[in-house]
Order: sequence, then structure tokens, then C-alpha cells
Amino acid sequence: MQFYISILTFTLISVIAVTGIYVLTGLTGMFSLGQAAFMAIGAYVSGFLVVKAGVPFVLAAIIAVVISVIVGYIVGLPTVRLRRDYISLVTLGFGEAITALLNQTQSITGGALGFSGIPKITTLPLALISAIVCIVLVSYLKNSKYGRQCIAARSDELAAKAMGINVPRIKMTAFLIAVAVTSYAGVLYAFFTTYVDPGIFGWKKSAEWVIMVFFGGVSSLTGSIFGTIILTALPEVLRFAADYRTVFYAVLVLLIINFKPTGLFGEYELSVGNLLRRLSGKKEERSNA
Amino acid sequence: MSIQIIINGLAVGSVYALIATGFSLIFNILKFSNFSHGALMTLSAFIGYFFAVKTGSSLIPVIIVSMLAGGLVAYIGEFVAFRKITLRSTSPVYYFVSSITLGTLYEGIVTIWVGPNFYNYPRFFQSMVVNIGGFVISKPDLIMFISSCLALALLVIFIQKTRLGRALRSVSFDRDTAGLMGINVFGIIQLAFFISGALAGLSGVFLGINYTLYPQLGNLVVKGFIASVIGGLGSIFGAVVGAILLGLTETLLINFVGSGYAPVFSFLIMLAFLLIRPQGIAGSNVQEKA
Repeated sequence: MQFYISILTFTLISVIAVTGIYVLTGLTGMFSLGQAAFMAIGAYVSGFLVVKAGVPFVLAAIIAVVISVIVGYIVGLPTVRLRRDYISLVTLGFGEAITALLNQTQSITGGALGFSGIPKITTLPLALISAIVCIVLVSYLKNSKYGRQCIAARSDELAAKAMGINVPRIKMTAFLIAVAVTSYAGVLYAFFTTYVDPGIFGWKKSAEWVIMVFFGGVSSLTGSIFGTIILTALPEVLRFAADYRTVFYAVLVLLIINFKPTGLFGEYELSVGNLLRRLSGKKEERSNA
Repeated sequence: MSIQIIINGLAVGSVYALIATGFSLIFNILKFSNFSHGALMTLSAFIGYFFAVKTGSSLIPVIIVSMLAGGLVAYIGEFVAFRKITLRSTSPVYYFVSSITLGTLYEGIVTIWVGPNFYNYPRFFQSMVVNIGGFVISKPDLIMFISSCLALALLVIFIQKTRLGRALRSVSFDRDTAGLMGINVFGIIQLAFFISGALAGLSGVFLGINYTLYPQLGNLVVKGFIASVIGGLGSIFGAVVGAILLGLTETLLINFVGSGYAPVFSFLIMLAFLLIRPQGIAGSNVQEKA
């Protein structure tokens, strides 16, 4: 039972991170390869504050997210005005820089050995509530004016600019939302595993999240979440060797990109209303035939 | 002492230049950042390593085998991961995901194949240093620098002076028009991938000699990316200048503060460049095209 609860919690933490990626990649069409580094900042800062400075958990979490957002602003500042390739390249460099920094500052972070002794505060209900709150907020965001501006900027940046949308600002906001959400996932992660080390926050992790979003469907929030749950939980339950897992992922995603490039869900959002509409629509089609 | 640092910086920079050029070739022709380049470097470096161990051959055959292997894998990779996207000519985001996935696949294959261990190339040289005019210079550094320069010079001659090179440039400029002019567009794209893969193989072997060989060696590709950002995305000339500049600054800084901080420096250099001169040294297009 303990095993399944732990898998479920990990999956929920991944879901939280992926809702952030969805805002960045799904809505705005930018790719970050340093997202895991922001998770690392969230994890290390909050862990450090609680363990070394005795700050209460909630306050530590807030400070960690705020610091991540400030760092994210500095990283995003030169890149949001440029081609989208730049944000991927810059965040990739940023991720490597953070990993190197964590490895080097041994006296503070424990270096490559990791930072341990973090109290276990994250529970399944906390992860579940956080995940639900994140999903609800992001789905509101998608349907808001801001969300539509994001989608416009993703589809055609020039046209969006011509319509008077401030594209660099839209991109920056999306990036910062993603950073905040991911670093919060990092806080939850640190206080669940009670131990963090720099190795797990490399660009591979960020790439894995992008793959998850694409697996489910890049334009669909529920699709992205579905993809995350499948790709996180299934291999854990089936206990694949970790090495084979990445190869398995990669082949799966290559197949999807070649044969169904919009992902499993495409533009479709899973919701009660859409389900009913689909069911009734099918019935109508049948009666027409 | 200082001459040695400069030589070392030039050698490191020239390997970064190889990475950045391989990356820029693909960026030019298909307008996307090829994130599988790093893992391809690792894969072909390992193929070279096992060839060296099995046959006990010297450095030159190992390099040739690695380059051929890298070229072939890139050739197949183009067919598997990018062909359909190019034909469909939909959103460039699919290139991005495809290249990341392809990189993950290569790295996964390498990890399954060799395990998470570290490997060392056999010693190719009797003595590790040469003495030129009173300066003691590390031999691998010298060979790295000379062969990188040679490879880059050959590439530039090929692109600027030959018929195929002209076709390559015209496909980079406008794929559809080039096709109408009777150029075999996909043949040229495959050629570009082959050359890029061969460059990845070459740089992989050099990185393997310079550091050690392990499945995550490809992470060093970040240096190549940073070099091409500094130089201006898509410009081969800019990439080379950016790479040499990055190699020199990094080596100088490392000498003062220690090698562990190298990624931090290269990131800060890139950030500073993007703030001051976002179009890079060569001044490429940095805005999203309509």
C-alpha cells in the first residue's frame, strides 16, 4: 500500500510540474530545457530554509517560489524578444549552470552527495489538493483573455503583434507562471523524498516533461495530464529497468510524432460537457444514418 | 604558462567550433535546433572507442570510423525522426520534440550498451607533450586544434566552392524554390545530416580523449549551443568565432577559479551576449519569421 501511495504522490508532483510546462509549451509554444533546474531551486531553497534556518514550511515554500520567479525573470529577460529557439538554448545552459553550482557549493548544498535531513511534510492529500488547484487555475487561464492571447502568439507571432498583443510580455508571463508552478513541485518533491541531489535535475528531466506533454497532446490540458499519468505511473508499476524506460519512451513518442503529431488527445479536452456532447453527437449521427 | 593556457583554450575552442558548426548546418537547412546532436556525439565516440579497443588501431582510423558512424546514424535519424515533419511542413515545434526524443533514444541506447561506467580511450601517443621553440604543449591539444581547423577549412571550401555546396546553400535559403530549380532537396538535407553527424563523431572522439568517455558526455554539447548563440544562430562563421572566444574565456577563467564552475561561466557569457548583442557576432535573424 505504501508503495502505491508513494507512486501516486510522485505522479501527482509530476502532474503539477507538467501543468506549468503546459502553460509554457502548450499555450505559448515555447520549450524550456531548464525547467528541472527551477524545480531544483524550489527544492533546495525550501529545504535549506526549513532545515538550516528553521523557517516554517509554508513560508519557506513561498520564499522558494518567489526566488525561483526572480531567477526566472533574469533568465527570461533577454530571451522573450527573440526567436523561440533561444529560450530552449538559454534554459539548457541555465540548467547545466545550476547543476554545476549545486555540485560545487558543497558546504551549503552537500554537493554531489545531496542534501538530506529534510522533514517529510508532503502527504498524498497535500499533493492531490495542490494538483487539483494547479489544474483548475491553468484551465481557467486557458479560457481567459490571456490564454487566448497566448494561443494567438503561439499560432502566429507576427499576426498576434499586429492585433496589438504584447507578445514579449505574454511570453514572459507564461514563462514565470511555469517557473512558479515547477518550483512549487520542487518544494513538494523535496519534502516528500526528504533528500535531493543535483543529478536528478538535469536537462533529461526537463526533456522528459516536454515528451509527456506531447504524448498526451500539446494543445490539450487534460491530454497532457493524461500523458503524464500514463508515462510516470505505468513504468513504475510495471517495474521496468530505468534504462529501458527511456528507450521505450523515445520510441513511443517518435511513433506518435510520425503518425499522430497532435498527440493522443489532439485539441480535445476531456470534460463532462465535452463527453456528453460527444455522446449525443454520435447518437445524432447514427440517427441521421 | 600563459602561452599554454592560450593553446589549451584554442584547442578546446576548436572542438566547440566543431560542435557548433554541426549544429548550425542543420539549423540553416531545416531552421530548428537539433538537440540530438550531443547524444549523437556520445554514440559515435563510443563506436570509435570499441573499434579502437577491438582492433588496437591508431588515432586516425578511430576518427574515421567515428565520423562515418556519426554520419550514418544522423542519416538514419533524419529519415526516422524528421522526414515526415519536413514533408508535412507543419509547426517547427515538432522538430524540437523529435530531436529531443531522438537524443533521448541515442543516450538510452548508449546507456543500455555500455552501462553507466566511465571509459578511457587507449593512449594514442607515446609522449603526451611536444616541445616547440621552448614551449611545452600538450600533444592531444595540438592534434585537436590542427584537425579541427582542417575539418572546418574543408567544410568551408565544400560549402563555398563546390556544386553540392551551392545546392546546400540554396536549399538553406529557400527549399521550395531550390526544388523547382531541379535540386534534389531531400538528397541535400540527407547530405547536411551526414556532414553534421560526421562532425559530431569527430568532436565526440576529441571530447572523449580530452575528458573521459561516459554516456552523458553529450551534455557538453551545451558549449556548442552557447557558442552558436554567441556567434549568431545559423551562421557557421559566427559559430567558429563564438566557439574560439568561449573556449579562450573559459580556459582563462577556469585557471583562476577551478573547472567545476565552467558551465556557470559559459551561461553568464551567453546571457551577457544576449542582453548586449542578441543577434550574435555574425548578426543572424533573431526574430520569429512570419
